[in-house]
Amino acid sequence: MKTVLNEQNRRNFVAQVESMLHDKLSKCYQCGKCSAGCPVNFEMDYTPNQIIKMTELGMEDSVLNSKTIWLCVSCNTCSTRCPKGFEVTGIMDVLREIAERKGITSKTEKEVQMFHEVFLENVKSHGRIFELELVGKYKLKTKHLFRDMFLAPKMLEKGKLKIHGEKISNLNQVAKIFKDFE
Amino acid sequence: MSRIGVFVCWCGSNIASTVDVEKVREEAAKIPGVVSALDYKYMCSDPGQNSLRNVIKEKNLTGVVLAACSPHMHENTFRKAAVKEGLNPYFVEIANIREQVSWVHEDKERATAKAVDLMKMMVEKVKRDKPIEDVRVPLNKKALVIGGGISGIQAALDIANGGVEVVLVEKEPSIGGRMIQLDETFPTLDCSSCIMTPKMVEVNQHPNIKLYTYSEIEDVSGYIGNFKVKIKKKARSVVEKDCTGCGECWNACPMHKNVKSEFNLNLSERTAIYVPFPQAVPLVPVLDRSVCLHFKKGGKCQKCLDVCGPKCIDFGLQDEIIEETVGAIVAATGYDLMETSMYGEYGYGKYKDVVSGLQFERLLSASGPTEGVIKRPSDGKTPQTIVFVQCVGSRDPEKGVPYCSKVCCMYTAKHAKLFAHKVHGSQSYVFYIDIRSTSKGYEEFVRGTMEQDGAVYLRGRVSKIYEDNGKLIVKGADTLSGNQVEIAADMVVLATGVIPKKGSDKLAQMLGISYDKYGFLTESHPKLRPAESSTAGIFLAGMAQGPRDIPESVVSGSAAASKILGLFSKSEYEVEGTISSVNEATCVACFYCQRVCAYNAISRKEIKDRNGNVVKVVANVNPGLCTGCGACVNACFSKSIDVKGFMDDQIYAEIKSLAV
Repeated sequence: MKTVLNEQNRRNFVAQVESMLHDKLSKCYQCGKCSAGCPVNFEMDYTPNQIIKMTELGMEDSVLNSKTIWLCVSCNTCSTRCPKGFEVTGIMDVLREIAERKGITSKTEKEVQMFHEVFLENVKSHGRIFELELVGKYKLKTKHLFRDMFLAPKMLEKGKLKIHGEKISNLNQVAKIFKDFE
Repeated sequence: MSRIGVFVCWCGSNIASTVDVEKVREEAAKIPGVVSALDYKYMCSDPGQNSLRNVIKEKNLTGVVLAACSPHMHENTFRKAAVKEGLNPYFVEIANIREQVSWVHEDKERATAKAVDLMKMMVEKVKRDKPIEDVRVPLNKKALVIGGGISGIQAALDIANGGVEVVLVEKEPSIGGRMIQLDETFPTLDCSSCIMTPKMVEVNQHPNIKLYTYSEIEDVSGYIGNFKVKIKKKARSVVEKDCTGCGECWNACPMHKNVKSEFNLNLSERTAIYVPFPQAVPLVPVLDRSVCLHFKKGGKCQKCLDVCGPKCIDFGLQDEIIEETVGAIVAATGYDLMETSMYGEYGYGKYKDVVSGLQFERLLSASGPTEGVIKRPSDGKTPQTIVFVQCVGSRDPEKGVPYCSKVCCMYTAKHAKLFAHKVHGSQSYVFYIDIRSTSKGYEEFVRGTMEQDGAVYLRGRVSKIYEDNGKLIVKGADTLSGNQVEIAADMVVLATGVIPKKGSDKLAQMLGISYDKYGFLTESHPKLRPAESSTAGIFLAGMAQGPRDIPESVVSGSAAASKILGLFSKSEYEVEGTISSVNEATCVACFYCQRVCAYNAISRKEIKDRNGNVVKVVANVNPGLCTGCGACVNACFSKSIDVKGFMDDQIYAEIKSLAV
């Protein structure tokens, strides 16, 4: 792949990412420890360290359309182990956010993107997760109604799924967070 | 009758695991003349040495053979132990059964047989050893330093401050070398001339230093303690002692165009009579006769002389040969930058705005052609985007050199940093293969260039640079993201590799010291004798030995100086006694020995009768130069020359011992 660096665009993109990330991309020295420990690396199109470098080079289209940003499960293994203390998980969040705001739909990871959307809706209305509703809405959206269905009784048995959702007491504060964000 | 003691060392398991040391000892005991044979775990240890001394004393030994490691390791140890018991040190012989046997063989039986053979040979040799006295050479306590760069200056100052006279010879009109061309120095960013000029001035004012600038070494002969040096003082056309350095002459010179300044690496012009830079030491101009109108047009122009107050310009001055006798020499000849013409794809020379690292250094420097304002050579505009390309010529065995030039990673980081400091809002890109920043504060410095000063580093080489619409388009790779990258730059700086100073190989030949295939002067031992050359009395310093940075150059200059001060702290220099000696009775004066001698150690000697008539001419060995290599022994037709301690009868006896 060939990239023609447009300096102004590069700088704008880097500035945008860095301001949201509260960290500097140049901190990364490309040792690859993040990629080495990443549990979902095998499914990614670009490794986490490549995503950082590409972002630094202003390769906006490539990173925002990558599988990687949606496949990241935010397990934080990378950030915990990073010798430079770089927010590796954070950059995935930031890039997902930018992609979402730009209305970029992932071609390959639609369901992951939908899950994120449903998840946030759920938090917005309850202030916390109501699993049953989350799963229900996700299944309706993806139309995979019966997938993983047999897990439900087990989860119910162990008290992992609740029939009635609970809302937190100060829901207006959560609403404020969402408002500030939007 | 010989009374020989044989000592077989186990060297822990180093020897004992492959050689049956007890068998070697038993075999030794059988040899006629051997009165004592012992084996011990570590002969070099204190108890080992003590047992050696006890046996010498008790058995009144006349010779000692150690079957142990290489004589390079412990010959000295055992000789000293023997001397303490009153034995001549040359009655100690080493059979090397470690490096030459146990370390290189696997079959224990055959290795043991070989060890026995080596031991036997040494027994026969030691039986025929004769006492040898070390040779003492008188020392002229004066040093010559070749090269007035930072390492040469450091060496000269250290020697001079030690109370020894120094002759410092510099080829260029001023001392200062490469370092004075630099702007600020990594990693502390102190300005080069601020830290360099005090040292230059100190050299000039030092009562123990005699400074010859614009001078070259014409010839070197002699040996440690007694080098005869011919220095060619090139015609400066200015009488140094009268010149005040006022500058009237170079201001008056009409030749102020078309002559490129060597000091500014062709980025500016100079006059025919010039000082290379304002802080030059000595501040005495040089008249370049190849461009001066006075010399080109038959003496018509003499505007410089007209304005000169002290009338110190002398068009008739001639090259002068000065002879000095010194006891030791420091070769600090420095380095040059590699040509980049082999990289046509980078367009150096074709595009004005593609410059070398040292040229960029001049563009940054306050004393440079742009007075420290970064301007492109093509149109004088301040660049906003600069691409730096590292490893241009270095680490490229195909087109350049395979070695790493060591300083480029750091100076490129410094360039990017200074560019960011001087041009706000600018952007630099650095193409690199690896970042090598291994000294104190270096890694932090490079990280700072990236993290604080915003330089973008791309891991990969540049394949092509071309001009398009007033921009230099740099096509490179970023191997970390796996992309081909294209950057439009205003300027490109190539971190060209370093090579030895042009002509340093000739100088090395003149000095009789060795250099490697690139032309860098080689150390006597790369780790343990890093300041010494292969020739006694000649020391090395600075980039002449290989790529290194300023601190390392200073260290090496000081190291050479301390070696010389150590040498001069004795009244005489001791040379090992195992050198050639001529049998004057049989020498036929064919001088084949002289022809094969690599050290110029053989000269003609006339034997005269009491009336002063020459009776005979014979070969004569200079003990200061002879290394005892034995080349002359092979060349001698009349068997008149021998290396002491390696006489023919000894060698034959060694061979015969194997025939039994």
